[in-house]
Order: sequence, then structure tokens, then C-alpha cells
Amino acid sequence: MPPAALTGRDLRLDFFRGLSLWFIFLDHIPSNRLSWLTIRNYGFSDAAEIFVFISGFTAAFVYGRVMLDRGFVVASARILKRVWQLYVAFVFLSVIYIAQTAYVAHHFDNPLFADEMVVLHFLQRPEIILVEVLRLRFLLANVNILPLYILLMLVLPIMLWLILRSPPLAFAFSLAIWSAAYFGGLNLKLYPVEQDWFFNPFAWQLLFFLGAWCAVGGATWVRPLYQSNTVFAICVVYLLLAFALSITRVFPESVRLLPEWLLIFPLDKSGLSPLRLAHFLALTILVVRFVPRDAAFLRTPWAQPVIMCGRHSLEIFCLGVFLSLMGGFLLIEVSGTLAMQVAVSLFGLAIMVGLAALMSWYKSLDRRVPKQPATR
Amino acid sequence: MSWGVTTMRAGAALAAFLALAPVATAATDEHCIVPAFLVEPLAQLPRATIAAKRDRKLEILLISGSPSQTGAAKGLRSYPSVFEDALRQRLPGLDIHLVVRAAPRRSVADTLPKLSEMLAEFQPALVIWQAGTADAYLGVEADDFADTLRRGIATVLKSGADAVIVDMQYSPRTDRLIDTPNYLAQMRWLAETMDVPLFSRYEIMRYWSDSGAFDLTSLKNDGLFEKVHMCIGNLLADFVARGASLDEFKGTGR
Repeated sequence: MPPAALTGRDLRLDFFRGLSLWFIFLDHIPSNRLSWLTIRNYGFSDAAEIFVFISGFTAAFVYGRVMLDRGFVVASARILKRVWQLYVAFVFLSVIYIAQTAYVAHHFDNPLFADEMVVLHFLQRPEIILVEVLRLRFLLANVNILPLYILLMLVLPIMLWLILRSPPLAFAFSLAIWSAAYFGGLNLKLYPVEQDWFFNPFAWQLLFFLGAWCAVGGATWVRPLYQSNTVFAICVVYLLLAFALSITRVFPESVRLLPEWLLIFPLDKSGLSPLRLAHFLALTILVVRFVPRDAAFLRTPWAQPVIMCGRHSLEIFCLGVFLSLMGGFLLIEVSGTLAMQVAVSLFGLAIMVGLAALMSWYKSLDRRVPKQPATR
Repeated sequence: MSWGVTTMRAGAALAAFLALAPVATAATDEHCIVPAFLVEPLAQLPRATIAAKRDRKLEILLISGSPSQTGAAKGLRSYPSVFEDALRQRLPGLDIHLVVRAAPRRSVADTLPKLSEMLAEFQPALVIWQAGTADAYLGVEADDFADTLRRGIATVLKSGADAVIVDMQYSPRTDRLIDTPNYLAQMRWLAETMDVPLFSRYEIMRYWSDSGAFDLTSLKNDGLFEKVHMCIGNLLADFVARGASLDEFKGTGR
């Protein structure tokens, strides 16, 4: 990571990105009851929005500075290096996933699931699957933010250039693409069934580049808007309404009491429904208002594990994906009881924090090296 | 992952965890036991009630795109047959007749054109529609699937019959390959908004798996099929009897 990111770092970004990584991990272990602890149950948006927005924000913050100081080519080269790391991580995780699935397919012969087993037949054509993995057309169920992240980073150089040149034009362009995805159904296709990408990259780019846009100055331009008390009041009302509506899902009978125009579920996550986007933005406005940059709790020891995870987000994200795959595997092959779900979740979080601490240690070594130049 | 179902699951988990919910004891086998709210019909079946009271008989049509789950599995007794027997046993005063129409891997969209014909042929008072598995495998978009199913259910209701939706099985080993929660959320929402009862095999089997009543990850045929189908058939019979308020046919006739 370039040194620009190391100074004047906004700990809030690290904290909330770390938190979203924890949530994503818990949500992505199949059949994990602990996922009801995460925010997706209490409003419209979930951890994915936080992760994508902050990733766009930090990417623009870091590479935007490089682009201004050292030009388009250097910044693009750095970004593409990141894309390559992500791509390799994706292929690695896909191999593990296919190996697990192949193991299941080979041993699975239970008539109870004869119909469901059909979905395993794609494994009969490994030569196709492997190519489809490399083409990003075979995406792992539940862990498909990674390919989204790859595509968004791939187009970041051009979008960043546009954002630095003409922020309004970049914003309008991003919005237009989102409209084509949300209203027109523009999306990429998957293998083996011609299904759409779950995280429609044409829709979710809006959030990523909105983050990027805020990072390179947008946040200053819209300050009057997010500091206005009227906007604040609207956000609070909206969040409360979203919370109330989400809670109706726990009590199906209560749906009868709602007027027809409030029957809005399930919201379109693939296409980044405007209701989800608005919910995320309202949450962000509240956070910005109540959690100042120098908030005391960000310095307390208990916040550090989360912050550390957020600081090494790429590595921790990939590790989280890997751990959720292995966690799901354990829950199926060993035991799936609630106690086991808790154990797998806590152990996974501990490993994530452990790796983040290790990465911080490595980085502190790197920083010390230049102080003793050419000793050997 | 669509959150509607997750929230439901969260609620179910919480209730089960706190042991607040009473349990349904309709089915004989203790393994079948599930919290009552999982098998509580949230809508009534008034057309089936009227037909039963008028004719003292109940014609039921079961539609499915997954034959292995509804009767085509070799030498194995599946839930529709258990359901029919359990319902007859429970309501001896009623002449009950079940027809199963299952075609392999047939999406809801493929079933729809044949629906009117089936309804005209069997004139059922109740249609049990098991959906989701085939559409998920075929990669039908979950919202397209829900739109089609919605039209199908509307056709059933217009024909004068009631409908019960039966959702997918909980299949822990293949769940991550299919976006199951999305289809489940769509079906649940459809049921709630159309005022049609949903019999959630998924939540029931999820409960059995979590509580350890059945090991649904078993790789081989170790009798799991019969046990699960026996429970599902019994619970569905109980569900339909309560949904259609048919208790007056208990123990009369014969």
C-alpha cells in the first residue's frame, strides 16, 4: 500500500470497514444463526454496502493522490497490481470451493436430495469449469463480492481520471449505468446456468464510485446537505421506518396490517435498490454526525481488532471468504449445532484478527528498515 | 442473500433457542416434532372448507417439478402418499382423493400452460403446489419465478380452488450452489400478499437439522428419505386440516 494512506488516516474508515468484514464473514457461513447479529436484519442495507462504499472511498483516497502526484500511468499500474492480487485470490478460493464440491458430488447418493443433486452435475465438465473460473463466469455462491471488487478496481483508473477531471460528469455517468442496470436489467451472465451476477457490477459501481467521489472532494461539496438538520431528521425517520418494516418479517401475521404500498420486500439487492442505497446513505449521515473523526472509542483497546481488520481489508476479506467456506464445510461434515456455529464464528473472527495483527507487525518491520540503510 | 428469510430464520432460531414456542405433536414420530409456529397456516382455505361441507369429499391436486420428492423415487414412499393416508385417517368423515402431477425438472413457467387443463380435468377444491427446486436449478430468476407462480396461484383461486404453496427442501449440501434464500423469500412474500398458506418444508427441515433430529448431511440412503417424508406428509395433513377447519369430519362417518 502506498505511504499516502499511512498518514492522516481516518480511523472511522478502518473501523467500519473492519466491522463490515466481520459481518460479511458471519453472513457468509451457510446456515449460521449468528448472522442475525449483523445489520442486514435491522434495515434495508447490509454489510456489502458499507464494504463497497468504503473500498471505493479508500481506493480513490490512496490512488487519487498517486494519480495527482505521479500521473495516470503510475496510478493505473498500482491499481492493476492490486487487481492481479485480487484475481489470484479469487482463483485460489474457487479451486478450494470446487474441490469441496467435487468431494461432495462424488460421495453424495442420498435419494432424499435426488433433485437437488442435479446442480452438482456441472462438475462432469472440469475443462469447462476451470476456464469459466478464469473468465469470472463461475462465481462462488455467497462469496461473490470478490469478483465485483475485481471488476470495479479494473475500471477504477478510468473512473478516477474522470472523477478528478469532472466530478459532476463522473457522477452522472455512474448514475446512468446504474439506471441501465436497475431499470434495464443490464448484467453479466454466469456458468453453468445462465444466471445473472448476484452483485450486478453495473449497479453496484454506483456505490463504489460514490465512495471514490466523496474521497476526492465530493464530501466537502455536499457538506451543507449532510449537516442540515432537516436532512438529519429525514434520515432518522427513514431509518426508523426501515427498522420497523424489517421487524415485520419476524412476525408474518403483522404483514396483514400494512397498507399495500408498504409491501416492498424482498428488496432488489442485485440491482442495488434505491431504497437500500438511501438506507445506507442515511446510516452514513448518522455515523458522520455522531462519530467524529477523533472519537474516543476508536482509540480504546477493544476497537483495535476491528480497526486492524479494516486496515488490511483485502487480505482479511479474502481470508474471511476462505474461512466462511471452511466454516460451512465444518458445519456440514462435523456438526451443525448452534454451539458449533458459535464456535466456528468466534474461531474464524479470531483468525481474522490474528492475521491482521500479523500484517500490522510485518508493516511495522518494513517501516523500521529505512532507518538503518545498507547495513549489509 | 435476501434477508427476509434470514430474519424469519433468526426469529425462529431465537424462539427455538429460548424454548418459548410450543411444539406440534400431530405426527406420531417424536423426530417429527417442530415448534408450532413453523406449521401454523397463516391463511385459511375457505373454498376447500365449503367444498368439503357441501360434497363431503375433498379433491386435492398436488403439482410439482420434482418427481423424486413426490412419488417417483424407486421403492420409497414419499410425502404425498403419506399425506393422503394421514388426512384420511384424521378425517374419516370425508372422502379424500389426491392426484399428483409431477414432471421432472419442470419450471413453474412450463407448468403454467398446462394448469387450466389440469384444473378442468380434476376439478380440485385444493391445489398443493410444490415449487422452487426446478426453477432454482434451471436458473430462472427468482423474481420471474415469483411472478409466474403468482399468476399460477391466481388461476387456481379463480377456478374456485384453494392453494397451498410448498417450498423447497433444506438441502445443506447443495444449498450454497443455489441461491435458495432468494426463492424462499419470494415464495414467502407471495404467500403473505396473496393470503395463501405456505407450508415451509425448508424451515421445518432446517429445524430438524439444527436440533439434531435428522442428519440431513448424510451421504447415503440410510432410511432418511422415508423418515423425512413420513414426517412431512403427517405435518402437511395436519396443516391442511387446520387451514381448512375440517375438524368436524373427525371421527364421523364410516
